[in-house]
Amino acid sequence: MANRRPCLILGLVLTVLVSVAAQQTESPPTTESLPTVDFQRDVRPILSDNCFHCHGPDQSTRMVRLRLDTEDGAFSPRPNGVPIVAGDLEASLLYQRITHQDERRRMPPAAMTNKTLSPEQIDVLRRWIDEGAAWDQHWSFKQIEPREPPAVNDAWVRSPLDRFILARLEAEGLRPAPEADKRTLARRVALDLTGLPPDPRTLATFLSDTSDQAYDTLVDGLLDSKHWGEHRGRYWLDAARYGDTHGIHYDNYREMYPYRDWVIRAFNDNKRFDEFTVEQIAGDLLPEPTLDQLVATGFQRNNITTNEGGAIPEEYAAIYAKDRAETVGSVFLGLTVGCATCHDHKFDPIAQSEFYAMTAFFRNTTQHVMDGNLADPPPVLVVPEDDDRELWHQLRREAVDIDGQLQARAASIDPMFVEWLTQGGHRELKTPLDASAEILTLALQDPDGPAVWLEGDRRPITVEPGAVITKGPDGNPALMFDSTSWAELPSLSLDTDTPFSIAMWVYQPEDEGRFVVAGQYDQQDGSRGWAMTLSARQLTFRMTGAQAAPGRVATTLQDRDGRTNVRAQLYHSRMPTGEWTHIVVTHDGTGERGGLHIYRNGDLVEQQGSEFFAKAEGSILTDQPFYLGRGDALSRSGEPEIRHFGGGGIADVRVFDRALTVQEAKVVSSWRALQTAAAKSPEALTSDERAVLRLRYLSIEDDEYRRLVARKQDIEREWREVRRRGSITQVMQEIPDTEPAAYVLARGMYDDPLELVPAGTPAALPPMAESLPRNRLGLAKWLVDETNPLTSRVTVNRFWQQIFGAGLVTTSDDFGGQGEVPSHPELLDWLALEFRESGWDVKHFFRTLVTSATYRQAAIPTPDKLERDPENRLLSRGPQFRMDAEMVRDYALAASGLLVRTIGGPSVKPYQPEGVWLEVARDAGNTRIYEQDTGDKLYRRSLYTFWKRSAPPPSMEIFNAPTREHSTVRRMRTNTPMQALVTMNDPQFVEAARYMAQRAMREAGNDFDRRLDYMTTRLLTRDFTDLERAVAKRTYDGFVTLYRTDAHEARSLLEVGDSSFDDALPVTESAAWTMLASQLMNLDEVLNK
Amino acid sequence: MHPFREAIRAETRRQFFSTAAKGIGGLALANLLADDVFALPQTNEAIGGLPSLPHFAPKATRCIYLHMMGGPPQQELLDYKPKMKDLFDTDLPASIRQGQRLTTMTSEQSRFPIAPSFFEFSQHGQSGAWFSELLPHTASMADDIAVIRSMHTDAINHEPAITFIQSGQQIPGFPCIGSWFAYGLGSMNEDLPTFVVMNAEKSHPRSNIQAISAKMWSSGFLSPKYSGAGLRGGDDPVLYLKDPNGVSTDVRRQMLDGLGELNRIRHEQVGDPETLARIEQYEMAFRMQTSVPEMADLSSEPDSTFERWGEEAKQAGKFQNAALMARRLVERGVRFVQIYHRGWDVHSFCPEVIPAQAADVDRAAWALIQDLKERGLFDETLVIWGGEFGRTVYSQGKLTPTDYGRDHHPRCFTIWMAGGGVKGGVVHGETDDFSYNIVKDPVHVRDLQATILHLFGVDHERFTYKHRGLDARLTGVLPARVVREILV
Repeated sequence: MANRRPCLILGLVLTVLVSVAAQQTESPPTTESLPTVDFQRDVRPILSDNCFHCHGPDQSTRMVRLRLDTEDGAFSPRPNGVPIVAGDLEASLLYQRITHQDERRRMPPAAMTNKTLSPEQIDVLRRWIDEGAAWDQHWSFKQIEPREPPAVNDAWVRSPLDRFILARLEAEGLRPAPEADKRTLARRVALDLTGLPPDPRTLATFLSDTSDQAYDTLVDGLLDSKHWGEHRGRYWLDAARYGDTHGIHYDNYREMYPYRDWVIRAFNDNKRFDEFTVEQIAGDLLPEPTLDQLVATGFQRNNITTNEGGAIPEEYAAIYAKDRAETVGSVFLGLTVGCATCHDHKFDPIAQSEFYAMTAFFRNTTQHVMDGNLADPPPVLVVPEDDDRELWHQLRREAVDIDGQLQARAASIDPMFVEWLTQGGHRELKTPLDASAEILTLALQDPDGPAVWLEGDRRPITVEPGAVITKGPDGNPALMFDSTSWAELPSLSLDTDTPFSIAMWVYQPEDEGRFVVAGQYDQQDGSRGWAMTLSARQLTFRMTGAQAAPGRVATTLQDRDGRTNVRAQLYHSRMPTGEWTHIVVTHDGTGERGGLHIYRNGDLVEQQGSEFFAKAEGSILTDQPFYLGRGDALSRSGEPEIRHFGGGGIADVRVFDRALTVQEAKVVSSWRALQTAAAKSPEALTSDERAVLRLRYLSIEDDEYRRLVARKQDIEREWREVRRRGSITQVMQEIPDTEPAAYVLARGMYDDPLELVPAGTPAALPPMAESLPRNRLGLAKWLVDETNPLTSRVTVNRFWQQIFGAGLVTTSDDFGGQGEVPSHPELLDWLALEFRESGWDVKHFFRTLVTSATYRQAAIPTPDKLERDPENRLLSRGPQFRMDAEMVRDYALAASGLLVRTIGGPSVKPYQPEGVWLEVARDAGNTRIYEQDTGDKLYRRSLYTFWKRSAPPPSMEIFNAPTREHSTVRRMRTNTPMQALVTMNDPQFVEAARYMAQRAMREAGNDFDRRLDYMTTRLLTRDFTDLERAVAKRTYDGFVTLYRTDAHEARSLLEVGDSSFDDALPVTESAAWTMLASQLMNLDEVLNK
Repeated sequence: MHPFREAIRAETRRQFFSTAAKGIGGLALANLLADDVFALPQTNEAIGGLPSLPHFAPKATRCIYLHMMGGPPQQELLDYKPKMKDLFDTDLPASIRQGQRLTTMTSEQSRFPIAPSFFEFSQHGQSGAWFSELLPHTASMADDIAVIRSMHTDAINHEPAITFIQSGQQIPGFPCIGSWFAYGLGSMNEDLPTFVVMNAEKSHPRSNIQAISAKMWSSGFLSPKYSGAGLRGGDDPVLYLKDPNGVSTDVRRQMLDGLGELNRIRHEQVGDPETLARIEQYEMAFRMQTSVPEMADLSSEPDSTFERWGEEAKQAGKFQNAALMARRLVERGVRFVQIYHRGWDVHSFCPEVIPAQAADVDRAAWALIQDLKERGLFDETLVIWGGEFGRTVYSQGKLTPTDYGRDHHPRCFTIWMAGGGVKGGVVHGETDDFSYNIVKDPVHVRDLQATILHLFGVDHERFTYKHRGLDARLTGVLPARVVREILV
């Protein structure tokens, strides 16, 4: 990273040692021996680095209205002359200024910019002007041209790509390395295509296959492996910033793994990369999208989100859109579009307004900014199990059908309704709904004192002193509380499996603190029961069940003692202070969050709470009293305390024995009005009164309508059952009938909007076709359009990087002016075109790479190559570098035989040191405590490891895995002693060593060498040399000696890890073999690809 | 010494000292005790770092940054506002609030009742600066510290605000200040990481804690080797450091000998210099296994240490313990120690929670400075105390004569700095009677960052790293000013 341009003037041997000032008078050094200056490779980077900041695309910082990033700017006359005149240094102002005698006039101004041109750079510019100042558009913005592979006459070549490599090597006077031996090659290609070592059988088949096609056969087999998709997908998940938590603040669980599994499947199915792109950017906007196409849009839901208490939604809406635009910019275009957040891009032709036009594609979304700390912040998609898919579709069809029938029925009842009114039906109403449904009614003005009617019986209630009965909403009598009073009502038998509805008027006091409005729960029993609470004017209804949720990934379901609760909260609509609000809570008898609704003044309003599909497990039934204005709680320090409803009020409490419908909730909230209307003749009714009465008639009097409602409720319940067996994933959903647009934000500040710009792509790139919609779908199609020069270049470069360790453009995230120029520009274009014209065929592309002679070279450097091609950018030898974090771990699991090869599913929690999550967590977050899994889940591939973004798995992070907080297309690679500690001491690796050791003992007989071969075959795909064998034997004997003296120690070692060891095998020998296996697993050769 | 081999060792060490491990505890402390593993001559030259740094003679060579996570209420501690007493439960005047944005936790409150501080203040030292009764020890060093009452920030919530004060940006992906130090100034001790992070627990059961995350000690776009090295309290200070059960030191040594030999054979066959680096990494890992526990073991401290610090300094997880560790680290040449003390986010229960939070910090900060003085390190060690923002004068939630809470307040907050080129006995900046707006000498977070770098001999405008084509710097693109008023 420190040296970003090592190959800038590769091949130029410059001997310019003279001072800048002296240079003008002395004759220039001879240029005969030097190759022609290349504008893209040699000149533009110098201009970009040193000049564009003040003479480039950003108009706000442009000095003296001079642009040097465009041909027009660089060659057009100005009042004082012409910046660049081809072949004429004297007339070229640019040259005069960069070599000016007067330091104050010399460009770039060192005092202001901290920049100085080196003599070498000045010489490049001088020669370039001398040679005719050839100008060209920035290379990556140019159309991809067909490139003829250079003519090299060499039997070494296996693929056209080798011609490009060889031509360059020959120009540098280097020869390729010899082909790697078959074993090395098998190991390398298996790791590159599947991320796993070749299994011994595959290896043996390959070794015994002496045909010319042996290697191709091996490659085909690996490309067909289901592990191919896992390995390719793993790289993609870095780019897509996939993780299992929200990333900010609580960093709670987020259910997203169906997206991860979609990625794996897409690679395994060899989905065309253009379709792969379109579905992730805009799958939801395709005509009649499939479930999978919707899942794919999760790509854009992978950004980190917040629910921090005080966060301001507008601010985060801007942050999310920026992240999405930057991710698309970096992953598909290789452009740092985010540099134009605060101002025009300094180096690339991306105006600030164009950046916001890019973000506009992503702002037209129904997504809530605040994630609610939930696993399923909408919009989400239910992904049913495969077996349920048909049922799922059937239920969806039925639901649509029932909706139609309900509408039709509602539309057809007018004659009957009018008849009912004429008969005086509305004059005889005694209760808002059918009286038999009402199990409890509060009667405050009962002549014999306050009471309730409970299933037909009058029961007096206790009202503590301090509470007063006064005139309430719409003239209803109301109970007003002070900070010590409450009312005690008889117990109700509401439960998780009984449908019910609770209706009441609630008065929000001026005090905006925390209150319990009403409830019936047992504080001594984990608060089992239900409660309605207010906090900061947000009303919440919760049910807490008796049991913990069975076998679920951590979600907010679980409160501190492991019980499940479900909560519905009026999150976005706070209660107005000093006012009465009518509240209806309905529960459909499932105990599920999805079966809970809250109506405010008769309207269903948007709610948050626990996950939509959460369920309170076990009974909530309790014999505690039903309190109004009181709740028992524990203080934070753990002492019992009573919460009151000081200053609050409650009126007209009614409890029903069913889940009221939308219509019924409206009727109950309007009950007072209906009582007034009872005195009126049908003609005198207001339209509002008439509308409510019509709802009342429909809901209570019309049997057919009621039947349809019941059927609809059944469908909804069944639908949620299907979900419970399946999973959910977050998706994109467009706000319909709105043109995507975004405000340009001054200096990037969310609260300082300038003009509104429609969604669009940067003008410097080929335009979107007229026929494309100006939304994400248009963007997606534009990305993969043939005229787009970037997507295929950027993609093949990243694929190249996966195989060879560095891209042809090493800055794989930046193809702009400040990025590296490609080491082999023609090859890059050839590959990009090859990829696109093959039908964006990913497997074909990788086959091309790994069957090339370039790839098949031995990774053996010579001193000369280390000197002249230290980073192997010229590909003078085969690729070899330390494996990524996931591969290091997967390798140990696979080689030892512990690996569980299941594909996909919920993320797993293998071994992790204690306290890693707890240290960073906030109280009550559901990723606070790492509950390690057991059994198979300890041995899954690493891409299934649960990824908590604020504390990623440490053994992965130590090996440079990214946090997944933002898109990463290029991992850094360090080598540290911490990595040694992981592979020596992490139980995962110790257990794998023991497992491998005992297998070798069982399966390879008693001979030392055969056991050793067993292990080295799996770890190195080769046998040890005699020299190596001698070392292994000596070490092994040493271990035996040490463990023989202490059998207890030997046993302790064998006990590391969850799986049990084979105690039929001798303990001392097992321990010694375990240590030898560990030693081999830590070999440099093992840790490297 | 073989020059090639030496180069490899140097590289290994460099990568190691500021290693990639970022999770708390996932770090790399090298040999913490003197041991001539590399037989390098002792010099005062930094190892690693940029040749161009420092730009000028530094005043400070090491820094201990005590971050009070959550945002301490300035009006309870260091920003005395006597006029508030008479305004109890009156509404914050609109002329003071000026329609400025609030968090969504209180923006919907119907009123903003003034909550005067519950605590008494008195004047201390030559400067006569005002200190809360909650900070008696801090008050006793009034003439050693510079109080800045006019700090302000751009962010209004924890995650972005901490990320901002650490990295100069509100979003993740940028290097935090300790990483800039590691990158630019390098290490002063070949046996220690350059940048160490510790996490101290909250001080009261009712303290409201905020989540913390790896991004707060991340190296951002700099190499992961410059990330903060997490150190955990207790007998397991570094992740994966302990050998597994059943692996004695003899067994480990035996294994490493065999491993090294096999790696060397391979190197002779293939000639990849990385292989030699790998051998060194394993050897260094082995040495860490003894040296780290020794360094983290406080039993070598004399009784007098705990008489000064209090018994809490022995308890892993306590702030006092982390601060004592910080002293041991800077004594050994660690450049930057970051401690996050959690629990300052007092949205409620302010009068109950703040005394406990303050008590843990007050004595330990004092003890730390006394220790540094005794060791002659105070003059070159910069100690910074402060949070990510301040808190509102008005109460969040219910205001009673005995209870109130305070919301986030980015428009002013108070920090103090001491040692390493900072003038003692200075009070810089002033807020209005409500501690709501700054009326004199505002100091932006960027100014603080520029000042810290300045004390280390670094011009914040010239200390840059090429990232995405721009010369990225800690203080960002907007102007920043060194607060010369507090410098010696």
